Amino acid sequence: MMRSIPRRLRKPVAIMVAGVLFAAAWLVRGGPLWWVSIMTVVVTAVRAYSWYRMSGTDTDEAALAGSRADERQQLVSLKSRALACNVAAIAAFIGLTAAVALNAAWWWPFAAMLVVTGFGYLFGLSSYGTGESDADSPAYYASPPVRR
Amino acid sequence: MRNRVREQRAQRGLSQAELAAALGVSRQTVISIENGRYLPSLPLAFTIARFFDLTVDKMFDPDDEEAGK
Repeated sequence: MMRSIPRRLRKPVAIMVAGVLFAAAWLVRGGPLWWVSIMTVVVTAVRAYSWYRMSGTDTDEAALAGSRADERQQLVSLKSRALACNVAAIAAFIGLTAAVALNAAWWWPFAAMLVVTGFGYLFGLSSYGTGESDADSPAYYASPPVRR
Repeated sequence: MRNRVREQRAQRGLSQAELAAALGVSRQTVISIENGRYLPSLPLAFTIARFFDLTVDKMFDPDDEEAGK
């Protein structure tokens, strides 16, 4: 679906969709603070527009914002996301440890974050090739394909 | 790893932006490659070498370890 959207509009559209979804969730929640959902949409629209404007400049950040990053910029983005994931996992571990020490009821969101990041990492390992069979290994020849 | 991108680009009188456009990468990436801060992928290394009518081993010198650090 995103491929049908012009590159420079992809991130602003994603920001808008996330903002509208959050605003809808807030509206469904109800209560006297319903106006926060309108504020969320307005702030999201401003952010999406500033993201669009920024993506027209000649910087690495703009290339990433405009979905036109080359291989080095994609690598920089990948490393940054890996760092963000590590920081999130460490923060989740600290939160979980604190919750356990305080015998608090809010331990499970931290545990969920740790489980999701752990399984995400394992999924990444299996998706990106560590499980590839070695054609020269004995195990490869020990398991011939079944012919029917 | 030392490379001859800056030298070859200067010989042809190209700006970093012009070379970047010809290679299909950003100007910042050309700067990073020239300064030895980024080692290009094999496909990009071949693209660079072909652009300058050189072989990859003439364009990139693996013996100079210090330049790439």
